[in-house]
Amino acid sequence: MLDIVKLTKKYTKNNNIFTALNEVSFKVDEGDFIVVNGPSGSGKSTLLHTIGGLIRPDSGQVLFKGKNINLFTGKELELYRKRNVGFVFQQFHLLPYLTVFENIKMVCPKPVNRRKINEYMEKCSILPLENKYPSELSVGEKQRTAFIRAIITSPDILLADEPTGNLDPVNSEVILSLIGEFHKGGKAVILVSHNPGAAAKYATKSIVLSEGQIIN
Amino acid sequence: MNAVILVIKEIFYRKVNSFIILLTVIVAGTVSVAIYSLSRASENETRKIMREQGLNLYIYPKGTNLIDFYSVNNTPVFPENYVDVLAESKTFDAVRHLTGILQLKYPDWTDPNGSRHQILVAGYKDEAVQRYLPGQETMGFDVPKGTVHVGSLISTNIPEGDLFKIRGKNGKIYEFPITKRLEEGKGMLDQGVAFYLEDLQQVLGMEGQINKIEALGCVCHDGRIKNARSQVQAIFSDLEVAEIGSIADARENQRLMMNKYGSFIIPFVILSALLISGLLFYSNVVTRRREIGIMIATGKSKYYILLIIMMKAFLLGLAGTIIGFFAGTAIAEYFGREIFRFTAQDIEPLWNVLGYVIFIFPVLWTLSGWIPALMATQVDAARTLSSE
Repeated sequence: MLDIVKLTKKYTKNNNIFTALNEVSFKVDEGDFIVVNGPSGSGKSTLLHTIGGLIRPDSGQVLFKGKNINLFTGKELELYRKRNVGFVFQQFHLLPYLTVFENIKMVCPKPVNRRKINEYMEKCSILPLENKYPSELSVGEKQRTAFIRAIITSPDILLADEPTGNLDPVNSEVILSLIGEFHKGGKAVILVSHNPGAAAKYATKSIVLSEGQIIN
Repeated sequence: MNAVILVIKEIFYRKVNSFIILLTVIVAGTVSVAIYSLSRASENETRKIMREQGLNLYIYPKGTNLIDFYSVNNTPVFPENYVDVLAESKTFDAVRHLTGILQLKYPDWTDPNGSRHQILVAGYKDEAVQRYLPGQETMGFDVPKGTVHVGSLISTNIPEGDLFKIRGKNGKIYEFPITKRLEEGKGMLDQGVAFYLEDLQQVLGMEGQINKIEALGCVCHDGRIKNARSQVQAIFSDLEVAEIGSIADARENQRLMMNKYGSFIIPFVILSALLISGLLFYSNVVTRRREIGIMIATGKSKYYILLIIMMKAFLLGLAGTIIGFFAGTAIAEYFGREIFRFTAQDIEPLWNVLGYVIFIFPVLWTLSGWIPALMATQVDAARTLSSE
């Protein structure tokens, strides 16, 4: 489904060139749960964002179902992100002035399937919180909301950037099990973590990045 | 999710930012509407004062010395139908309220006590209806035929209920009921008598003759007096036009000065408010980078992001304009009542101005959010959302 071919991305800061990704290549098939780990600054998030179409690489390709997303127009990239990719971030990034329900509804295509949202909220135990604002939620509840927002459109790939980074072990397990359940539905998951311990049991593949290169 | 609801929720969430932007629109709207309303009130005030002061243009035969109207009784005359010719002319539109007048000194009037006086007599033709101009309320003297208005000084010499008597050129004594005793302060007419034109012409044996036309040229600073002069002379080359200075001129100067200040202050306040708003929208976009990042990550288009920023600017612009309009009108009414003697009660909301500002201001404020909105579409979602 996804073919990452010699992906390279460099950043320039204070006249110094920093190589975030250096000819990274791997494949993601339907039903894969790939855990990408490595130390801070190893290029994990850059890899995830490049796959998600938020960053254009300097060279290399991200082939989604055979199409190089780096050649997509802006509009095609928007559609790719809207239909094929779901993001979960460490910081949740919920809109603070929208309720739980509205944060999820925001990404849904029209007409909004209220029943589907309710089912997911029920499954993630946040249905009673649907009218609460993010400031009224615990971190675990925030991440569950962000998770539903990421998968409500049934994307082909879930890109999770340190999704448990801010959570306690109990909440981490809840989120990972929800991601695991999503994966069991035949979807692909790429999860980035600098501490993959808990996620390892869900992984079908594991990639270790260091200084922008796959070392394992 | 409906973009309007999203924008409204964001406005209420970031109350301080939104309130200050709203305040800039309110201030700009209030100042603009207040100054414009006061300027309009000032214009009306000037117009009313001009009316109060009487007609301010004289049209008279060339070669007439204006002082002769008050001192001698042999000023050149011309046919009274000149007034009708001017009123019927399609090309004569620079002045209004054309009134044909015969005004002379009557050197030997005897009052009821037998005392003799030099008085001024003036006969007024009905104000001409200018066929090709919209109708207006008449002004000047409206003396009914067969009656007179007497000036305040003469009035003291005629007991209440007595008739005004005057000897005609033919030696006959003419009697006229006094329908109005004029208040003092009418200038030379304090010692004069106002007649219906035909009556005075009969008394003086000057049928069909007048020696001046009085008229009103509304604003004298934009060349209309020149216009009036050329228009009159194009029809009657033997007539001249003169402008009579009055308090209205001072008021007019004051109004023009106010307009001048207004034409500086209004754009200055609007531009300053727009600049502040632009900076506040920029600050808002900076604050919302992560929100915008997540919108990009979830596939929202650049158009959508542009839309929500500019819609916020438009909604605040619209709300501020409406509040500013009523605040500006209230200020104009409050201060206008202190400033304007004649038109204080006439200061009312200028609904046509609301029509303009309700369109212009929201558009201006939307434009002030344009650059910040463009910047929002360029937010680097990867950087703002990254955990690394």
